Amino acid sequence: MARPFLDYARAKGFRETTVKRFLSLEEGAQRAVAAIVVPLKASENHVRDMLDWLEEICLRDGVAIDELLSREAFAAIMGDARLGRSDKLKRVKEELRRIRFPRLSWVEGEIARRIRALKLDPRTEMTVPKGLEGGWLAVQLRARSQDELKRLLAVLSEAAATGEVREIFTLIANGGLEEPQTGNGTI
Amino acid sequence: MEPFRPSRVFVERGCEASPILRNLRRALADVPFEFFERGAFSFARAGNGADSFGNAKRSLFLTRHKGEFLKKCPGSEGQVCCNYFVINFASNCPMDCSYCYLQEYLAENPALKVFANIDDLIAEADELLSRHRRFFFRIGTGEITDSLALEPYIGFCRELIPFFARQPNVLLELKTKSDCVENLLDLDPNERIVVSWSMNPERVVAADEHRTASLEERIWAARRCQEAGYKLGFHFDPMIEYPGWEEDYRSMVEKIFAAVDFRRVAWLSMGVLRQTPGLRRAMRERFPQTRLLTGEQVFCPDGKFRYFQPLRVAMYRKMLGWIRALAPLPPVYLCMESRAVWEQVFGFVPPCEKELGNQLAHF
Repeated sequence: MARPFLDYARAKGFRETTVKRFLSLEEGAQRAVAAIVVPLKASENHVRDMLDWLEEICLRDGVAIDELLSREAFAAIMGDARLGRSDKLKRVKEELRRIRFPRLSWVEGEIARRIRALKLDPRTEMTVPKGLEGGWLAVQLRARSQDELKRLLAVLSEAAATGEVREIFTLIANGGLEEPQTGNGTI
Repeated sequence: MEPFRPSRVFVERGCEASPILRNLRRALADVPFEFFERGAFSFARAGNGADSFGNAKRSLFLTRHKGEFLKKCPGSEGQVCCNYFVINFASNCPMDCSYCYLQEYLAENPALKVFANIDDLIAEADELLSRHRRFFFRIGTGEITDSLALEPYIGFCRELIPFFARQPNVLLELKTKSDCVENLLDLDPNERIVVSWSMNPERVVAADEHRTASLEERIWAARRCQEAGYKLGFHFDPMIEYPGWEEDYRSMVEKIFAAVDFRRVAWLSMGVLRQTPGLRRAMRERFPQTRLLTGEQVFCPDGKFRYFQPLRVAMYRKMLGWIRALAPLPPVYLCMESRAVWEQVFGFVPPCEKELGNQLAHF
């Protein structure tokens, strides 16, 4: 059952610890993991990420790895003929991450939705840090002239006054978890 | 709390006159003692087998410490620091918390060691405190061991407390998850000693703080220390997020302040669960069933995983609210947190570590 994965791991030079970790999985889990890793040619780092998340989800939710990977979402990605191999791998990891980090993924999704709703010029980019660590919104402008910069700043200034941007900052600050409320300025 | 029972005590030649050896012999009369020459034994070999870190906790070494006893707490890179000093009188810990950072920090040197040369330790502390009389120090002994878990066997505090109680410019913190306070109760702390507990709800204690005192035992021990004249501290660290954590933590805060007088509490701290990637690997290996690694933790700029920022800010704010409702006066600080999180939780950031240290020292 482990053969396709082991052949692939050997060909890619995976470390022994990663192989051992795979072999410690139950037979059904090995089959389910191999069915993603081998055809999508996942790198060792991707495999380690996936194993971490799979094990953590299974421990948290009390499901088996093969049960988790047999969900419709994964079958749909793997069976989507429009997607290339690397896109499928990206989508599989995104789906796993969404299950592994449900609240963080939700906040990130809500922020992304509001940034899209601003319909910013492609030369203006708004991003938040990975995992929301730091609690800031980064704005990047790309201008080739003073006039272009002035125009982009004017549009950005209008965007900054919208409810979407206010909500983005609220989401960054509290993740939709509670109303902002800070201490009284002393320890 | 489960008593500590080493299978063997190894004593370095030259430590025969130490009061620690005398105490160990008395407390562990039925445990075999073996003597060894320094250099003839590699501490790295103290732990062996599949779980070398865990196995190392089964033997106790009494040895001389060659380096400095007193160090500045290293804190965590880029995080707000509280200007704390640490005394390492022992290395490793008889308890076995699944999240313990020593699993990584002491992985190559896991021997459970107690240092016999207390006189050198006291001389070093005396020199530092005398040289800087205008600076007020906060010093703790619970950095790479538990301050009190070995106390019934080694009697270290009976040597240390009288010295620190006489110093005008220091607070000595004894930080523990044990209830081993018997040795402290007839000593005079003279307002210079803070006995503090790392606190978690019983659910966390039972699942992940192996061989420690229960929540009730810790609270009872704190009360006894307070009655004996000690200042107290409580560290809500590591705070763990799980379904129902709010009720458990709120109830724990209520139990604590129903039992102790908040006016005698020197400080309180909060810090969420955090791990380096190396510690995560060690935890997976040693405690594969722990649920601590299933939280929504992300990799932070200082190289540690923590709950994502809005989640932990929400945890801190809730906890601060429960604390402030019952203990409005003692200072509360965050351990190993960023300026951004301080700002969100307290509405300010300490201007510098000395300032924060001073505020904590002079409450």
